[in-house]
Amino acid sequence: MNLMPDFRCHRPATLEEAVRLKAASEGTRFLAGGTDLLVNLRRGLGEPSDLIDLTAVADFAVIRHDGDRLRLGAGVTLAALARHAEVLASYPVVAEAALAVAGPTHRAAATLGGNLCQDTRCIFYNQSAWWREANDHCLKRLGDKCHVVPKSDRCYATYHGDVAPALMVLDAKAEVAGPDGVRRVKMAELYREDGGAHLTLGAGEALAAVVLPPPDGRRAAYAKARIRDAIDFPLAGVAAALRRDGGVIGFLSIAITGTNSAPLAIPTGELAGRAWDGAAAAILAKNLRKTANVLRTTVIGATYRRRAMQAMARRLVDTLWDRG
Amino acid sequence: MSIHTLKKRGVGSVGVRTPLIDGVDKVTGRAKFTADLLAPGALVGRLLRSPLPHARILSIDASAAEALEGVAAVCTGADCKTPFGVLPISENEFPLAREKVRYCGDPVAAVAAVDEATAAKAIKLIRVEYEKLPAYFDARKAMAPGAEPIHAEKPNNVLREVHNEFGDAAAGFEAADLVREKTYHFAEVNHVHIEPNATLAEYDPERGHLTLHTTTQVPYYVLLNVAKCLEMEEAHIRVVKPFTGGGFGARTECLNFEIIAALLARKAGGAVRLLQTREETFLAHRGRPETDITIKLGMTKAGKLTACHLQATQRGGAYASYGIISILYTGALLHGIYDLPAIKHDAWRVYTNTPACGAQRGHGTVDSRTAFEALMNEMAAELGLDPFAVRRINLLTAIPYTTAYAQKVMSYGLPECLDKVMKASGWAERRGKMPKGRGLGLACSHFVSGTTTPKHWTGEPHAAVNLRVDFDGAVTVLTGAADIGQGSNTMVAQMAAEVLGVDWKRLRVISADSALTPKDNGSYSSRVTFMVGNAAIAAASELKRILIAAAAKKLDADPESVECEGEIFRVAGQDPGLPFSEVVKAALVGAGPITVKGAFTSPPEFMGDKKVRGSAIGATMGFCYAAQVVECSVDEVTGKVTAHKVWVAVDVGRAINPLAVEGQIQGGVWMGMGQALSEETRFDQGRMMHANILDYRVPTMAESPDIEVFIVESIDPNGPFGAKEASEGMLAGFLPAVMDAVHEATGVRPNALPLTPDRIAELLDARQGARP
Repeated sequence: MNLMPDFRCHRPATLEEAVRLKAASEGTRFLAGGTDLLVNLRRGLGEPSDLIDLTAVADFAVIRHDGDRLRLGAGVTLAALARHAEVLASYPVVAEAALAVAGPTHRAAATLGGNLCQDTRCIFYNQSAWWREANDHCLKRLGDKCHVVPKSDRCYATYHGDVAPALMVLDAKAEVAGPDGVRRVKMAELYREDGGAHLTLGAGEALAAVVLPPPDGRRAAYAKARIRDAIDFPLAGVAAALRRDGGVIGFLSIAITGTNSAPLAIPTGELAGRAWDGAAAAILAKNLRKTANVLRTTVIGATYRRRAMQAMARRLVDTLWDRG
Repeated sequence: MSIHTLKKRGVGSVGVRTPLIDGVDKVTGRAKFTADLLAPGALVGRLLRSPLPHARILSIDASAAEALEGVAAVCTGADCKTPFGVLPISENEFPLAREKVRYCGDPVAAVAAVDEATAAKAIKLIRVEYEKLPAYFDARKAMAPGAEPIHAEKPNNVLREVHNEFGDAAAGFEAADLVREKTYHFAEVNHVHIEPNATLAEYDPERGHLTLHTTTQVPYYVLLNVAKCLEMEEAHIRVVKPFTGGGFGARTECLNFEIIAALLARKAGGAVRLLQTREETFLAHRGRPETDITIKLGMTKAGKLTACHLQATQRGGAYASYGIISILYTGALLHGIYDLPAIKHDAWRVYTNTPACGAQRGHGTVDSRTAFEALMNEMAAELGLDPFAVRRINLLTAIPYTTAYAQKVMSYGLPECLDKVMKASGWAERRGKMPKGRGLGLACSHFVSGTTTPKHWTGEPHAAVNLRVDFDGAVTVLTGAADIGQGSNTMVAQMAAEVLGVDWKRLRVISADSALTPKDNGSYSSRVTFMVGNAAIAAASELKRILIAAAAKKLDADPESVECEGEIFRVAGQDPGLPFSEVVKAALVGAGPITVKGAFTSPPEFMGDKKVRGSAIGATMGFCYAAQVVECSVDEVTGKVTAHKVWVAVDVGRAINPLAVEGQIQGGVWMGMGQALSEETRFDQGRMMHANILDYRVPTMAESPDIEVFIVESIDPNGPFGAKEASEGMLAGFLPAVMDAVHEATGVRPNALPLTPDRIAELLDARQGARP
């Protein structure tokens, strides 16, 4: 019901045109499913001069093979992603994570690219304009103070995307289109840990696709702490991929979300080549503790989110290990 | 009403599953809600709200807003000096704050402008100077000596203290084999009715008339308050309730935005549409208050209760609202469910700088019942008794039964409810033998079927219904009852059709329009089926008498021998009889169109006892009773409680429409589940953190357990066709039942609600003595 700001809306047919439009004006935002952006705009979180609607971009919502890799167009809806036969067969963790997002109506509109590039969130930011003004605004928008970490000079808003950690543990690459063509970067490189500027995409760049490497026998799963089984963002989310070589860990990759301003990979180098046991779990717990920086950015307290992250990570690896 | 034998002829008959009369309109989108109403040229209303929780208003400068092109009116506290409120004894709220603001979000000024952008711009141009005052977000701090009074007339910030004792509590505890006392904390919850608040106010400057279409459960109270605040003749105001997307108690009183819309429309001399956002709808609040309850119970070795002492403190928010009634209700329904020899009740309703609490489904009784049943279960376990056995030994002894609070129980289906859920849940075989992490729990609860003591004493009947019939043979029911989705329009049609002996499709219902329909107090305290239903039966009986007289004349028969069945009037046993439309035409000869009235008045013996203090609250003609078993699991890794199955049996007296009753029961259980598992409001220095449905966690379908409903019909001697209330009584039982199920699943006994994963995780970690 809140008024949307006035903006021009473009509907380019190619990604090249979209990127050109994006670079042309500073106050321009991409729009796909709108489940993140439009909600925020209605709350006065941004007043873009132009919106570039990506839903008419050719090949943007396509999943196709790229050699032995699978290329997921950024415009694929989460619903389509979650029911795609090859995704389900070869990368089930991606479908699992996509299905964990919001509710069915959101997933029918929301896209993979939108989910990956969603804004960071904070209880002091995701509020109405009246509310934020009453609270003297915040570092992320119009203010000069972070209410989460009052003396900090950066914003601690949290990244709550479900799909990114699942892609990270599979070593997926992000395909970024820009004025000078296309580049492929590791998923983790798409992000930086700054709640006010958590995406590394340049002003004239767009996330075009995500490319999954061929499946290599690792098993992966995603766990999400939430109060409700629909709608909720992760209070903490953990993705894990494991390849067990007999009695030892052949490969283990862990990524977390809902804890920091970016989805983060957890160091697991010490764990390769050893058995998954209490001592290994303690190492993982320590590395999680060192990496995660859970603060008061949600209505549920940080203590619980830390606990849930640790307990879920343990159960996740236990389960993957037992599956052999 | 003594019509106990039903023929159940088909859809629309009493006792037959009948889709709601307006259900298709709603599911197809044909139904028009307040925000959908066409009002060409209507101005856009918008509010300026206080950024501070407690402050003196030093000055308001609205001149720049007034001067802005496109602004038609600006209102401030200066435009209304009359306070309003739902209880005549505690009217202390101004539609727009005067002198002080008392919570973050208190409306300070309002504008009406040609469009939303102009209104928003105008709001930004209004300058308000405040002087901050100490603010309280916690009942204990607000009550502490030396605290700044939020309302001058209550220097200690206590709106109402209650101290009552029935029987001898001390002697009861003395006689007990086991006495236990425990404190429970209940977070504040909100109704989250799905349609946000909205009012369309249209003022006719020539005639000085005002019409409001508004989202309310109580059009009559809205009319009274608007007339009072605008100092207008009640005769010049019309209030219409269009289709309404729920209420659950949030709309059982006139709210500030309704009066503000009226003020703006009059000042602008036209129509103003004031739509409230979800955040503003949360700010209007009137939910169930944050409550601390300390309960002490005495029990014999056999499980018989000997005494109860309950102490309740409610964080009531910034204005009185229903507070005096809410706090009395924390004690009023300690009575009427079990045979309890002594009850002591001490309670405090406290003003705080948070949005005002009010009535919410199960008004005032839910937290008390939860604390009571939870401790009852805990003590049963301590004594090695089965929770069912402990309920059975405490059942009311003989019906009719008069409680110490002067309530009369004329029907009591609780014993049958217990039998039903015990059997269906497999309790005897399964309880105590559930797999790890899974549990079963039981609790009982009850609620009034309408309060017999109206808030505005006028000496009028409790309810009145008009029936009209004209040349076309259509029967029109005119009722002031506000159908907010609970199905009252369907209910009156079914009852009138049943009495008249006609197909219910012959009836149409026009409701909740003060220009057309007889006054009704509104949809609250589960009064409508009982009171309006009885009035509908009375009206239909009167119309039937007239039609039978006309038929008898035409048939040359004794009216006593004429009956109407299936729309045919005939002398008993004789064919072919006269069709309904023909009899109507005959009845109109000489008389013209017929309008009849039926009314219902509660007999005085059901209105409490003047000798029993406070007994006007919780006075009713009948209680709905419920027993439920909840099965849940607890994930010890995440701390998450999941309700898998609920078996709930409810004594509704008579299910007028079993389909609607089943839906109401499931809705009541479900709302209890929300309060039990996930819902809570949160504030940061008085700023509402949860004002959206993402952070305020009302359950989704994903959380909805299978709710198996058993309808128990005790046929109340005074209920319409024996009916009682069917939508509030089962709510409270979910909370203590799931608490007991969590105990079986994990061994921990929660004492703070909701049972969110963080709270459960904390209990589990404390149990294990170490965190993972």
